[in-house]
Amino acid sequence: MNDGLFDQFKEWYEKRHDYARAWKARTGGQVVATMCTYSPEELLIAAGMLPVRVLGAHEPQNVTEPHIFGMFCPFCRDSLAQGLLGRFDYAEGVTLTQSCIQYRQAYSSWRQNVPTVKWDYYVAMPNDVQSPHSRKAHRAEVQAFRVFLQTLTGKELTDDMLRDALAVCDENRRLLRELFDYRKADEPRVTGVEALYASITAQFIDKREHNEMLKKVLAALPARKVTRPTGARFMTIGSENDDVAFMAMVESVGATIVIDDQCSGTRYFWNASKADDDVVKAIAERYCDRPACPTKDYPSHTRFQHVLDLAKEYKVQAAVFLQQKFCDPHEGDYPDLKRHLEANGIPTLFLEFDITNPIGPFRIRIEAMLETLSEEELF
Amino acid sequence: MNAGIDQGTLATAAPEKKEFWRWQENTWYDETKNWKDAKIITCGIDVGSVSSQAVLVCDGELYGYNSMRTGSNSPDSAKNALAGIMDKIGMKLEDIHHVIGTGYGRVNVPFAHKAITEIACHARGANYMGGNKVRTILDMGGQDCKAIHCDEKGKVTNFLMNDKCAAGTGRGMEVISDLMQIPIAELGPRSFEVDEEPEAVSSICVVFAKSEALALLKAGYTKNKVIAAYCQAMAERVVSLLERIGVEEGFFITGGIAKNPGVVKRIEKLLGIKAVDTKIDSQIAGALGAALFGYTLMQKQAAKG
Repeated sequence: MNDGLFDQFKEWYEKRHDYARAWKARTGGQVVATMCTYSPEELLIAAGMLPVRVLGAHEPQNVTEPHIFGMFCPFCRDSLAQGLLGRFDYAEGVTLTQSCIQYRQAYSSWRQNVPTVKWDYYVAMPNDVQSPHSRKAHRAEVQAFRVFLQTLTGKELTDDMLRDALAVCDENRRLLRELFDYRKADEPRVTGVEALYASITAQFIDKREHNEMLKKVLAALPARKVTRPTGARFMTIGSENDDVAFMAMVESVGATIVIDDQCSGTRYFWNASKADDDVVKAIAERYCDRPACPTKDYPSHTRFQHVLDLAKEYKVQAAVFLQQKFCDPHEGDYPDLKRHLEANGIPTLFLEFDITNPIGPFRIRIEAMLETLSEEELF
Repeated sequence: MNAGIDQGTLATAAPEKKEFWRWQENTWYDETKNWKDAKIITCGIDVGSVSSQAVLVCDGELYGYNSMRTGSNSPDSAKNALAGIMDKIGMKLEDIHHVIGTGYGRVNVPFAHKAITEIACHARGANYMGGNKVRTILDMGGQDCKAIHCDEKGKVTNFLMNDKCAAGTGRGMEVISDLMQIPIAELGPRSFEVDEEPEAVSSICVVFAKSEALALLKAGYTKNKVIAAYCQAMAERVVSLLERIGVEEGFFITGGIAKNPGVVKRIEKLLGIKAVDTKIDSQIAGALGAALFGYTLMQKQAAKG
């Protein structure tokens, strides 16, 4: 749909480093590289900073081998490479909230070896978020991060400042949900590529600006004409994915990606905070309650039912696992999640992703999957 | 037994340039029939990474085919493959009612009405060649390897492909053939001419296998033993792919490697299942499936009026 409605998101995505530099020049604020979407962005926003999620560049690199193993997932290696190559030289700080151990080591290498980093902070979020003790522990971790930022900036982060930042983030989450709702329609007015542009840019664009853009798009969507066939309705499942070329290929061969369970998509924004007089608790528990990453989904596997519910709500016909090579948490979930979906009538396809991906061979697999869904005319 | 023969005569030392890897290109048609009697003529063109096939189906039955090496570009390969059979039987392109492209070059078949993946086409072709009891298909092509499950109609229900690496595929066998200076068609039979079955080579990477094969020869392996070790390694690799998807009875092998008993018998031994036999050239399965799909589409189109 070439009406230019999502062009701003696309431009932000493609020129994200230029945006961050311009933001810094305009506001004089600090930019903070955030690793993992469990980072409590509310605190950084309240402190007048711009959280910018570290993403890969999907290009071959040869700089990470001295620091982390080649059998760490491509996202770890690509993320670290971006730091080592100076792509985030505008970021004063870097922060990680605990998720997987490989990314923790990528973060450690980043903070030690990226010379432009002036400060770093590790939020020791418990992985066992299902325990009530963990919720208290995480509140304490978020509070400790608050204290760190106050010391760093020499300015108090009041509860009101945190509430304002939380409100901005929650509005962003609500607007993205509203945008994603349009994908439930039989003829979705938003494609998978467009949805990806919208959700991924929320992770590095000033939230207030992003919210204004989302409102503009949402105002225009009811009148938007769908000019492409929907085809088969696909869901994507996995960790981080911003491989636009892959998504565009899928949507060019007779499918539409209508929903995802990925941290570049729904897992980032799906739930808003719950009202609480204790704003630090509200912020912390929002992260405990969000759709879980496999690293934080035990002893109960809550994401299995969540993924199936999403598939049903968005009338998904097939799910594609975008498995980052060597990503142990997701690969560990894969066999059971695959069985769960297939037992409930959702066929699946497994694709192994690397820093760069072979679009041609992936296309054969996607087209073959489409044929299994719709080849009745051939028999 | 050929123990000890030909040692030290490696490809690099051969003054005469022979293409040992070159497999038999072939053309066949059913001389008992006349295509002019057919009501519906459909064609499947499979442009693969190594070989290209054109198959003609007359009223839903295999009539003829041409199988040849893929050239430098897909459109020309498709044209040449089809010309190879049409010229023999005096057919023209306009005599064909429907053409379907498949294989890597499927979208570059200039005269195709539709493109269908080789996964669907191999399953349909195997269903025709091996009968409706075929449930598991192993397609061992030029540069990839696919494990496919299908139903009684030949409709794909599940599939897996090898990733990124061409090990365990036809191209690897071509490389070994050239290296050993043994015609590719002889590799399979000669792999059984050994005193005892060797361990599989540890690397079946098309590139690294060369150096490993050379090392084995230097260590005293006969050529036949090296070939046996390579066939075993290929068999183990494809069996690991098959085991990921599961093997059901009604096991059928398509693609050029199906003609190599050295690999096929070792796969059968590892799986404990015998592959379904066929008299039809296993290399044409994809193009045959495409032509059969074309026939069904034409029938449905006619039924709609």
